[in-house]
Amino acid sequence: MIKQFVLIGLLAILFAVFFVSMQDIQELYNTFGKDYIAASGFADTGSRNLVTAILLDYRLFDSLFEAGILLIAVSGVIWISKHEIEEKNAQFMLDKFNTPDLFVTFSRLVYPLMLAFGFYVIINGHVSPGGGFQGGAIVATAILILYYIDADKETNIGLIVTIEKILYIAILLVASLSIVTRGEFFTNFFALDASADTKAIYLVLLNVMIGMKVALGLWTIFTAFLKEGR
Amino acid sequence: MNPLLTFVVILIGFYGLSTSTNIIKSVFCVTIIESGVILLFLNLGNLDGGVIPVIGDTLPVGGIADPLPQALMITTIVIGSTVTALALMLCIKVFHHYGTVEWAEILSRESGK
Repeated sequence: MIKQFVLIGLLAILFAVFFVSMQDIQELYNTFGKDYIAASGFADTGSRNLVTAILLDYRLFDSLFEAGILLIAVSGVIWISKHEIEEKNAQFMLDKFNTPDLFVTFSRLVYPLMLAFGFYVIINGHVSPGGGFQGGAIVATAILILYYIDADKETNIGLIVTIEKILYIAILLVASLSIVTRGEFFTNFFALDASADTKAIYLVLLNVMIGMKVALGLWTIFTAFLKEGR
Repeated sequence: MNPLLTFVVILIGFYGLSTSTNIIKSVFCVTIIESGVILLFLNLGNLDGGVIPVIGDTLPVGGIADPLPQALMITTIVIGSTVTALALMLCIKVFHHYGTVEWAEILSRESGK
Protein backbone atom coordinates (compact mmCIF):
# COMPACT_ATOMS: atom_id res chain seq x y z
CA MET A 1 0.00 0.00 0.00
CA ILE A 2 2.76 2.45 0.95
CA LYS A 3 4.50 1.59 -2.32
CA GLN A 4 1.45 2.72 -4.27
CA PHE A 5 1.39 6.08 -2.49
CA VAL A 6 5.10 6.62 -3.14
CA LEU A 7 4.57 5.71 -6.80
CA ILE A 8 1.64 8.08 -7.22
CA GLY A 9 3.69 10.80 -5.50
CA LEU A 10 6.57 10.27 -7.92
CA LEU A 11 4.20 10.39 -10.90
CA ALA A 12 2.66 13.60 -9.50
CA ILE A 13 6.17 15.13 -9.30
CA LEU A 14 6.76 14.14 -12.96
CA PHE A 15 3.44 15.72 -13.93
CA ALA A 16 4.35 18.91 -12.04
CA VAL A 17 7.70 19.10 -13.88
CA PHE A 18 5.90 18.69 -17.19
CA PHE A 19 3.28 21.29 -16.20
CA VAL A 20 5.98 23.85 -15.36
CA SER A 21 7.89 23.13 -18.58
CA MET A 22 4.73 23.58 -20.67
CA GLN A 23 4.03 27.07 -19.25
CA ASP A 24 6.15 28.95 -21.79
CA ILE A 25 5.46 26.66 -24.76
CA GLN A 26 3.76 29.48 -26.67
CA GLU A 27 6.96 31.55 -26.48
CA LEU A 28 9.23 28.64 -27.39
CA TYR A 29 7.00 27.58 -30.28
CA ASN A 30 7.82 29.10 -33.63
CA THR A 31 6.51 28.49 -37.12
CA PHE A 32 9.69 28.99 -39.17
CA GLY A 33 10.01 25.36 -40.23
CA LYS A 34 6.32 25.06 -40.96
CA ASP A 35 6.31 28.25 -43.02
CA TYR A 36 9.36 27.18 -45.01
CA ILE A 37 7.90 23.77 -45.86
CA ALA A 38 4.49 25.27 -46.68
CA ALA A 39 6.04 27.88 -48.96
CA SER A 40 8.61 25.78 -50.85
CA GLY A 41 7.66 22.15 -50.16
CA PHE A 42 5.67 21.70 -53.36
CA ALA A 43 8.26 23.50 -55.52
CA ASP A 44 11.16 21.53 -54.02
CA THR A 45 9.69 18.03 -54.01
CA GLY A 46 6.64 18.01 -56.29
CA SER A 47 4.52 16.54 -53.50
CA ARG A 48 1.25 18.20 -52.51
CA ASN A 49 1.19 16.12 -49.33
CA LEU A 50 3.86 17.84 -47.24
CA VAL A 51 4.26 14.84 -44.90
CA THR A 52 5.27 12.76 -47.93
CA ALA A 53 7.57 15.63 -48.99
CA ILE A 54 9.42 15.30 -45.66
CA LEU A 55 9.36 11.47 -45.60
CA LEU A 56 10.55 10.89 -49.17
CA ASP A 57 12.67 13.96 -49.91
CA TYR A 58 13.77 16.25 -47.09
CA ARG A 59 14.39 13.49 -44.55
CA LEU A 60 14.57 10.35 -46.70
CA PHE A 61 17.50 9.27 -44.51
CA ASP A 62 15.08 8.66 -41.59
CA SER A 63 12.60 6.71 -43.73
CA LEU A 64 15.34 4.42 -45.07
CA PHE A 65 16.47 3.46 -41.59
CA GLU A 66 12.85 3.10 -40.49
CA ALA A 67 12.36 0.55 -43.28
CA GLY A 68 15.61 -1.09 -42.14
CA ILE A 69 14.37 -1.37 -38.55
CA LEU A 70 11.18 -2.97 -39.89
CA LEU A 71 13.28 -5.54 -41.77
CA ILE A 72 15.42 -6.24 -38.69
CA ALA A 73 12.33 -6.66 -36.48
CA VAL A 74 10.75 -9.07 -38.99
CA SER A 75 13.98 -11.09 -39.13
CA GLY A 76 14.06 -11.12 -35.31
CA VAL A 77 10.47 -12.35 -35.08
CA ILE A 78 11.19 -15.17 -37.54
CA TRP A 79 14.45 -16.10 -35.80
CA ILE A 80 12.84 -16.19 -32.33
CA SER A 81 9.81 -18.16 -33.56
CA LYS A 82 11.91 -20.90 -35.14
CA HIS A 83 11.22 -24.33 -33.72
CA GLU A 84 11.71 -27.96 -34.61
CA ILE A 85 8.10 -28.96 -35.27
CA GLU A 86 7.30 -28.69 -38.98
CA GLU A 87 4.06 -26.90 -39.79
CA LYS A 88 2.88 -26.38 -43.33
CA ASN A 89 -0.08 -24.03 -42.85
CA ALA A 90 -2.09 -22.18 -40.27
CA GLN A 91 -5.03 -24.60 -40.39
CA PHE A 92 -4.72 -25.75 -36.78
CA MET A 93 -5.09 -22.13 -35.58
CA LEU A 94 -8.01 -20.94 -37.68
CA ASP A 95 -10.46 -23.80 -37.71
CA LYS A 96 -12.43 -23.61 -40.93
CA PHE A 97 -15.50 -25.26 -39.48
CA ASN A 98 -15.70 -22.94 -36.47
CA THR A 99 -15.45 -19.71 -38.48
CA PRO A 100 -18.97 -18.26 -38.96
CA ASP A 101 -20.24 -18.46 -42.56
CA LEU A 102 -21.36 -14.82 -42.41
CA PHE A 103 -17.80 -13.76 -41.56
CA VAL A 104 -16.32 -15.76 -44.43
CA THR A 105 -18.84 -14.37 -46.93
CA PHE A 106 -18.27 -10.78 -45.85
CA SER A 107 -14.51 -11.34 -45.95
CA ARG A 108 -14.84 -12.39 -49.59
CA LEU A 109 -16.88 -9.25 -50.34
CA VAL A 110 -14.56 -6.88 -48.49
CA TYR A 111 -11.23 -8.38 -49.58
CA PRO A 112 -10.99 -6.85 -53.11
CA LEU A 113 -12.27 -3.49 -51.84
CA MET A 114 -9.61 -3.38 -49.11
CA LEU A 115 -6.88 -4.35 -51.58
CA ALA A 116 -8.00 -1.64 -54.03
CA PHE A 117 -8.22 0.97 -51.26
CA GLY A 118 -4.74 0.05 -50.04
CA PHE A 119 -3.25 0.48 -53.52
CA TYR A 120 -5.17 3.77 -53.91
CA VAL A 121 -3.67 5.10 -50.66
CA ILE A 122 -0.17 3.98 -51.72
CA ILE A 123 -0.26 5.37 -55.27
CA ASN A 124 -1.89 8.69 -54.32
CA GLY A 125 0.46 9.22 -51.38
CA HIS A 126 1.89 12.42 -52.87
CA VAL A 127 -1.39 14.20 -53.62
CA SER A 128 -3.70 13.07 -50.81
CA PRO A 129 -3.36 11.89 -47.18
CA GLY A 130 -1.63 8.53 -47.15
CA GLY A 131 1.60 7.04 -48.42
CA GLY A 132 3.63 3.88 -48.46
CA PHE A 133 3.55 3.08 -44.76
CA GLN A 134 -0.18 3.60 -44.24
CA GLY A 135 -1.22 1.93 -47.51
CA GLY A 136 1.12 -0.98 -46.84
CA ALA A 137 -0.62 -1.59 -43.51
CA ILE A 138 -4.03 -1.61 -45.27
CA VAL A 139 -2.79 -4.06 -47.95
CA ALA A 140 -1.34 -6.31 -45.24
CA THR A 141 -4.70 -6.35 -43.43
CA ALA A 142 -6.43 -7.28 -46.69
CA ILE A 143 -4.00 -10.16 -47.23
CA LEU A 144 -4.60 -11.39 -43.67
CA ILE A 145 -8.33 -11.74 -44.42
CA LEU A 146 -7.32 -14.46 -46.92
CA TYR A 147 -6.52 -16.69 -43.95
CA TYR A 148 -10.17 -16.56 -42.89
CA ILE A 149 -11.41 -17.23 -46.43
CA ASP A 150 -9.10 -20.18 -47.04
CA ALA A 151 -7.40 -21.60 -43.94
CA ASP A 152 -5.53 -24.21 -46.00
CA LYS A 153 -3.48 -21.54 -47.72
CA GLU A 154 0.23 -22.18 -47.46
CA THR A 155 2.60 -19.29 -46.94
CA ASN A 156 6.26 -19.57 -47.85
CA ILE A 157 7.81 -17.25 -45.27
CA GLY A 158 11.32 -17.69 -46.65
CA LEU A 159 10.26 -16.46 -50.10
CA ILE A 160 8.43 -13.43 -48.65
CA VAL A 161 11.43 -12.40 -46.56
CA THR A 162 13.74 -12.81 -49.57
CA ILE A 163 11.48 -10.53 -51.64
CA GLU A 164 11.46 -8.04 -48.75
CA LYS A 165 15.27 -7.98 -48.56
CA ILE A 166 15.55 -7.45 -52.34
CA LEU A 167 12.97 -4.64 -52.09
CA TYR A 168 14.97 -2.97 -49.31
CA ILE A 169 18.14 -3.05 -51.42
CA ALA A 170 16.13 -1.65 -54.37
CA ILE A 171 14.82 1.18 -52.16
CA LEU A 172 18.39 1.99 -51.07
CA LEU A 173 19.54 1.99 -54.72
CA VAL A 174 16.70 4.26 -55.88
CA ALA A 175 17.38 6.60 -52.96
CA SER A 176 21.11 6.70 -53.77
CA LEU A 177 20.54 7.39 -57.48
CA SER A 178 20.51 11.11 -56.71
CA ILE A 179 24.27 11.10 -56.00
CA VAL A 180 24.80 10.33 -59.70
CA THR A 181 22.27 12.77 -61.13
CA ARG A 182 22.32 15.61 -58.58
CA GLY A 183 25.45 15.06 -56.52
CA GLU A 184 23.49 14.79 -53.24
CA PHE A 185 22.65 11.81 -51.09
CA PHE A 186 19.09 10.57 -50.55
CA THR A 187 16.84 12.95 -52.45
CA ASN A 188 14.84 13.05 -55.67
CA PHE A 189 16.97 11.88 -58.62
CA PHE A 190 15.28 14.32 -61.00
CA ALA A 191 16.70 17.84 -61.25
CA LEU A 192 15.48 20.42 -58.74
CA ASP A 193 13.84 22.51 -61.48
CA ALA A 194 12.00 19.61 -63.12
CA SER A 195 8.21 19.85 -63.33
CA ALA A 196 6.05 18.51 -60.51
CA ASP A 197 4.70 15.70 -62.72
CA THR A 198 8.23 14.47 -63.47
CA LYS A 199 9.15 14.49 -59.78
CA ALA A 200 5.95 12.57 -59.00
CA ILE A 201 7.39 9.55 -60.88
CA TYR A 202 10.07 9.21 -58.22
CA LEU A 203 7.57 9.74 -55.38
CA VAL A 204 5.14 7.10 -56.72
CA LEU A 205 7.99 4.63 -57.35
CA LEU A 206 9.37 4.95 -53.81
CA ASN A 207 5.86 4.94 -52.26
CA VAL A 208 4.97 1.70 -54.08
CA MET A 209 8.22 0.00 -53.04
CA ILE A 210 7.90 1.08 -49.38
CA GLY A 211 4.23 0.05 -49.38
CA MET A 212 5.02 -3.43 -50.71
CA LYS A 213 7.83 -3.79 -48.19
CA VAL A 214 5.63 -2.81 -45.22
CA ALA A 215 2.81 -5.11 -46.43
CA LEU A 216 5.16 -8.09 -46.79
CA GLY A 217 6.75 -7.37 -43.39
CA LEU A 218 3.44 -7.23 -41.51
CA TRP A 219 2.22 -10.35 -43.37
CA THR A 220 5.35 -12.21 -42.24
CA ILE A 221 4.89 -11.14 -38.61
CA PHE A 222 1.25 -12.29 -38.61
CA THR A 223 2.12 -15.66 -40.17
CA ALA A 224 4.88 -16.19 -37.60
CA PHE A 225 2.36 -15.60 -34.80
CA LEU A 226 -0.14 -18.00 -36.38
CA LYS A 227 2.48 -20.74 -36.59
CA GLU A 228 3.31 -20.16 -32.92
CA GLY A 229 -0.15 -21.28 -31.76
CA ARG A 230 0.11 -24.94 -30.89
CA MET B 1 -6.74 18.32 -26.79
CA ASN B 2 -4.43 19.77 -24.21
CA PRO B 3 -0.79 18.58 -24.14
CA LEU B 4 -1.18 18.09 -20.37
CA LEU B 5 -3.87 15.49 -21.03
CA THR B 6 -1.51 13.52 -23.27
CA PHE B 7 1.04 13.53 -20.46
CA VAL B 8 -1.61 11.98 -18.22
CA VAL B 9 -1.80 9.12 -20.75
CA ILE B 10 1.99 8.70 -20.54
CA LEU B 11 1.84 8.67 -16.72
CA ILE B 12 -0.91 6.03 -16.79
CA GLY B 13 1.48 3.92 -18.85
CA PHE B 14 4.28 4.51 -16.32
CA TYR B 15 1.97 3.51 -13.45
CA GLY B 16 0.93 0.34 -15.22
CA LEU B 17 4.53 -0.49 -16.06
CA SER B 18 5.53 -0.23 -12.38
CA THR B 19 2.61 -2.18 -10.96
CA SER B 20 1.81 -4.85 -13.57
CA THR B 21 2.67 -8.41 -12.58
CA ASN B 22 2.25 -9.90 -16.04
CA ILE B 23 4.73 -9.62 -18.91
CA ILE B 24 2.01 -9.14 -21.54
CA LYS B 25 0.49 -6.31 -19.49
CA SER B 26 3.91 -4.67 -19.33
CA VAL B 27 4.12 -4.81 -23.13
CA PHE B 28 0.67 -3.19 -23.34
CA CYS B 29 1.82 -0.43 -20.96
CA VAL B 30 4.80 0.32 -23.22
CA THR B 31 2.27 0.64 -26.07
CA ILE B 32 0.17 3.05 -23.97
CA ILE B 33 3.25 5.23 -23.30
CA GLU B 34 3.95 5.20 -27.03
CA SER B 35 0.37 6.34 -27.80
CA GLY B 36 0.77 9.18 -25.31
CA VAL B 37 4.02 10.29 -26.97
CA ILE B 38 2.35 10.19 -30.41
CA LEU B 39 -0.57 12.33 -29.17
CA LEU B 40 1.85 14.76 -27.50
CA PHE B 41 3.86 15.27 -30.68
CA LEU B 42 0.75 15.73 -32.83
CA ASN B 43 -0.51 18.32 -30.32
CA LEU B 44 2.74 20.26 -30.29
CA GLY B 45 2.67 20.36 -34.10
CA ASN B 46 -0.76 21.95 -34.13
CA LEU B 47 -0.72 24.45 -31.24
CA ASP B 48 -2.19 27.37 -33.21
CA GLY B 49 -4.75 25.40 -35.21
CA GLY B 50 -4.76 24.51 -38.89
CA VAL B 51 -5.88 21.88 -41.37
CA ILE B 52 -4.04 18.82 -42.69
CA PRO B 53 -0.76 19.61 -44.50
CA VAL B 54 -1.99 18.78 -48.00
CA ILE B 55 -1.85 21.92 -50.11
CA GLY B 56 -3.46 22.83 -53.41
CA ASP B 57 -2.30 25.69 -55.61
CA THR B 58 -2.79 28.12 -52.73
CA LEU B 59 -2.31 27.63 -48.99
CA PRO B 60 -5.44 26.90 -46.90
CA VAL B 61 -6.99 29.92 -45.16
CA GLY B 62 -6.48 28.85 -41.55
CA GLY B 63 -2.89 27.73 -42.09
CA ILE B 64 -1.64 24.15 -41.95
CA ALA B 65 -0.51 21.89 -39.13
CA ASP B 66 3.25 21.37 -38.82
CA PRO B 67 4.06 18.37 -41.08
CA LEU B 68 7.38 17.52 -39.39
CA PRO B 69 5.93 15.94 -36.17
CA GLN B 70 3.46 14.00 -38.30
CA ALA B 71 6.28 12.60 -40.45
CA LEU B 72 8.18 11.65 -37.29
CA MET B 73 5.12 9.95 -35.81
CA ILE B 74 4.65 7.71 -38.88
CA THR B 75 8.13 6.40 -38.05
CA THR B 76 7.13 5.89 -34.42
CA ILE B 77 3.92 4.02 -35.27
CA VAL B 78 5.61 1.57 -37.66
CA ILE B 79 8.58 0.92 -35.38
CA GLY B 80 6.29 0.67 -32.33
CA SER B 81 4.10 -1.97 -33.94
CA THR B 82 7.08 -4.11 -34.97
CA VAL B 83 8.79 -3.77 -31.59
CA THR B 84 5.52 -4.78 -29.90
CA ALA B 85 5.36 -7.82 -32.17
CA LEU B 86 8.96 -8.73 -31.25
CA ALA B 87 8.21 -8.33 -27.52
CA LEU B 88 5.08 -10.49 -27.74
CA MET B 89 7.03 -13.17 -29.61
CA LEU B 90 9.57 -13.15 -26.78
CA CYS B 91 6.62 -13.50 -24.34
CA ILE B 92 5.53 -16.66 -26.17
CA LYS B 93 9.06 -18.06 -25.88
CA VAL B 94 9.16 -17.20 -22.15
CA PHE B 95 5.82 -18.98 -21.69
CA HIS B 96 7.09 -22.08 -23.49
CA HIS B 97 10.22 -22.11 -21.33
CA TYR B 98 8.77 -21.33 -17.89
CA GLY B 99 5.10 -22.20 -18.29
CA THR B 100 4.06 -18.82 -16.90
CA VAL B 101 4.23 -15.12 -17.81
CA GLU B 102 4.12 -13.75 -14.23
CA TRP B 103 7.15 -11.63 -13.35
CA ALA B 104 7.31 -12.74 -9.68
CA GLU B 105 7.15 -16.46 -10.46
CA ILE B 106 9.85 -16.27 -13.15
CA LEU B 107 12.14 -14.17 -10.93
CA SER B 108 11.75 -16.52 -7.93
CA ARG B 109 12.46 -19.54 -10.14
CA GLU B 110 15.56 -17.88 -11.59
CA SER B 111 16.90 -16.91 -8.14
CA GLY B 112 16.17 -20.41 -6.78
CA LYS B 113 18.50 -22.01 -9.32
